[in-house]
Amino acid sequence: MGQGRLGTAMETGARDGLLRRLREVVGEQYAFADPYEIRLYQYDASPETALPDIVVIPGSAPEVADVVRLCAQAGAPITARSGASSLAGGTVPVHGGVVITFPRMDRILEIDVDNLRAVVEPGVVNLALSHALKPYGYYYVPDPSSQGACTIGGNVATNAGGPHTLIYGVTVNHVTGLEVALPSGDLVQVGSQKAAETTGYDLTGLLVGSEGTMAIVTKIWVRIQPLPPVQKTLMAVYPDVESASNAVSAIVRTGILPAAIEMMDKLSIQAIEAASHAGYPLDAGAVLLLEVDAIPELAEELGQRMAQVCRENGATEVRIAKNDAERQALWKGRKGAFSAMGRLSPDFYVMDGVVPRTKLPETLAKIDAISVRTGYKICNVFHAGDGNLHPLVLFDAFKAGQYEAVLTIGDEILKLCADAGGSVTGEHGIGLEKRENIRYIFSDDDLEVMQRVRQVFDPHGLMNPGKLFPTDGLEPSPSVSAPSPARRQPMPAGQGEDLWV
Amino acid sequence: MGVNTRTEPVPGHQISVEVQRRLEVDGVLPAKVMRPTDAEDAARGLRLCDLTPAAVVVWGGGTQMRLGTPPRRYDVALSTERMTQVLEYEPADLTCRLQAGITVAELQRTLGEQGQRLPLDPPHPKRATVGGMIAANTSGLSRSRYGTVRDWVIGVAVAYPSGKVARAGGKVVKNVAGYDLMKLHIGALGTLGVVAEVNLKVQAQPQASATVLGHFEASSPAIEAGVKLSRQYLAPAAAIVLDRNALWACGLTADWSWTLALKLEGYAREVDAARDLAARSIREAGGRVEGQDIPSSFWDAARDWSVPDEPDAVLRAMVPLAAMPVLANAMPREGQAMVQPAAGVAEIRLPPALAGSALRRLRAAVGENSQVIVASAPPDAKTSLDVWGPPPPGFAIMRALKDALDPHGILNPGRFVGGI
Repeated sequence: MGQGRLGTAMETGARDGLLRRLREVVGEQYAFADPYEIRLYQYDASPETALPDIVVIPGSAPEVADVVRLCAQAGAPITARSGASSLAGGTVPVHGGVVITFPRMDRILEIDVDNLRAVVEPGVVNLALSHALKPYGYYYVPDPSSQGACTIGGNVATNAGGPHTLIYGVTVNHVTGLEVALPSGDLVQVGSQKAAETTGYDLTGLLVGSEGTMAIVTKIWVRIQPLPPVQKTLMAVYPDVESASNAVSAIVRTGILPAAIEMMDKLSIQAIEAASHAGYPLDAGAVLLLEVDAIPELAEELGQRMAQVCRENGATEVRIAKNDAERQALWKGRKGAFSAMGRLSPDFYVMDGVVPRTKLPETLAKIDAISVRTGYKICNVFHAGDGNLHPLVLFDAFKAGQYEAVLTIGDEILKLCADAGGSVTGEHGIGLEKRENIRYIFSDDDLEVMQRVRQVFDPHGLMNPGKLFPTDGLEPSPSVSAPSPARRQPMPAGQGEDLWV
Repeated sequence: MGVNTRTEPVPGHQISVEVQRRLEVDGVLPAKVMRPTDAEDAARGLRLCDLTPAAVVVWGGGTQMRLGTPPRRYDVALSTERMTQVLEYEPADLTCRLQAGITVAELQRTLGEQGQRLPLDPPHPKRATVGGMIAANTSGLSRSRYGTVRDWVIGVAVAYPSGKVARAGGKVVKNVAGYDLMKLHIGALGTLGVVAEVNLKVQAQPQASATVLGHFEASSPAIEAGVKLSRQYLAPAAAIVLDRNALWACGLTADWSWTLALKLEGYAREVDAARDLAARSIREAGGRVEGQDIPSSFWDAARDWSVPDEPDAVLRAMVPLAAMPVLANAMPREGQAMVQPAAGVAEIRLPPALAGSALRRLRAAVGENSQVIVASAPPDAKTSLDVWGPPPPGFAIMRALKDALDPHGILNPGRFVGGI
């Protein structure tokens, strides 16, 4: 790392030599190192920033392979970046080097309904795929909340989830094959692709969620499935998060498995109502949103059964959406939750802890206690069905010391999730943000095996270095500087509905 | 360095000739046995084997021991028979943590008491262990609806030849921390480490279930009807197409050429609707819907069919759904056939002497993206069979992963793809 700085690390001569060779591969205009242009590639949706040395925009898989090989030969770190919606700093090039980005590789290569597959390039936007599948009556299930902006390639890197993964699983459950560029410059296709199964080790399953630390994905085979005939959505209002959490467990115990179970706490409800008037009662302690997929003749019955369980578990009000407009209205508040936080605070820091769903009440109580003790407000908007919490710590980055304090709070919350038998990330990834927190759940022995696996793919540690693994204090942690105020982007009410998690 | 350079005596307990024979793998007998009680114990044993070095074959229930090429060497049988505890089970979380030596039947019994289940049904669940199900990736007949082993394993603790136990994943259903090393061990036939503990997702038992049978004069329309149903929202939990011999082997002695058997599961109204859809699909494909009650043992027999007690060879083809009809035309006339049209899998059971030519014919018929393997064969037949076929794409990486995690090659040497 040059002069103890983050990002930009290459000697000028070496950089210019590599840039020249990269331009021979991708064309003059698609590789650049102009200080003004590369500034656009220093950040993602996390608070962290670091400048790359070079940015490359390849147009095909063979080009990606050539780019990776040239970078590896030059010893330049390689960071893949697609929609750059990572909340964990996954695409921030902390060691500088080359950022590879995929706006030119955004083609849906094949929709193969006969084999229940689609084949896409990594730059395809998640929602674009489901839109393309809709006329056939199919969809791609994982729906990370940034699905209007994030790409399938990024989803593969982080093993992205979303609210509707409760019943159908996350990205890895829907990816059947990958083509990847290895640091050697080889393009390799792995997985069963269009077949049910294949022989050998499940390299596809290993690569999904490896956060760009092993290889760069250039093509993806995904499973598609028929659209549900009907989605029944209901809202249940509770005096507090504990009774709402208990209702979630009660519903699960009945044998009904909703496609989505989302919860918002009191503070979130107030922010949401101020911003989008979704119709959540302002005096509610918690609101549950439940959605079940079904055939029409079953949807009503399931809706009524869930409503009954909700009432039996202390719901003060239950509202079942009677049509799609009402369903959209119920979801509107949830989808606008993050942007609504602007009503309460200029900045927020979003966490991604997971606890067993039966530990939700006590975990939420502990988070509340942290809020009371530290004086920082914490909103909870989360995937209650799978115990995936997204506490939002509200702060003001302009005020000295607040960002640092918030990071400490975040660390404490992740620790208590880990101690409850959970995880430090449910869907955002470890990235840069949680590379030290990973120790809360994995021992040195666990991490050592993971490192050995990584080295098989990336013997020289050039693939997205500085991510996923603890640094062992060998390099300065980037998590000590407050985000630049210039990055603050206030969101007018009613906008930013893609920015929900 | 390989296991041929052994300098130390083989670690483990002495065993009688009788036990040796019981732990035989493809005609090769072990010298010693280890029966660890937990993950750490297993890791200590593996460390001793690694230092020796001594070749280890991991034993669960032994139901899939005929899968794979014969071991290059086999000194120690590491049995998981003493690792059978349910370590944690919280029904409201729909998760559990187990030692890998527990049988699938015992697990299902424990879950069943809470109205839950693991929706995987590997053959011979009373003998098959959860660890063996992972190692052999045996998901059963319902995979097109509920997915495979990889979709239900959320965490593992693995003992490695280094003597260390390393975990991956965790206890929660949604978790992306660290590498998903669970995937690496599923279907790896114990060549990378010994899976000692397993965390699983589970689900509620379905409210209702039903079976619909249709019979056909030819295999193709039966298979095509099954494939079509699998593309529907109300897809069956399991769909199998059996020839007459396989039907009889499953205890249904009707004189039908080809039978499409559909297992329907879900909420009661869903099952009603699925039954109508299934019956309509069978008729549209030219089949006859049979109203008769089937013996309750039918689905159990169908589940166990691919792991016969007889010394038959079993060939398994894995193809894209659209290639199922092509596959049907290449199936041998001899033996028995069971096709899973919704899953893209077909299995043929036949006398070992006929396996070689049938294997070649099937491999020639299936196209790109497809694999045909020998899922089971007696030891003497294996010498003349190419069990795994050509190494899969990415094999160089697989080889390197093996070398990274088992540098002395002590784990199940020679039994996996490409000689791993």
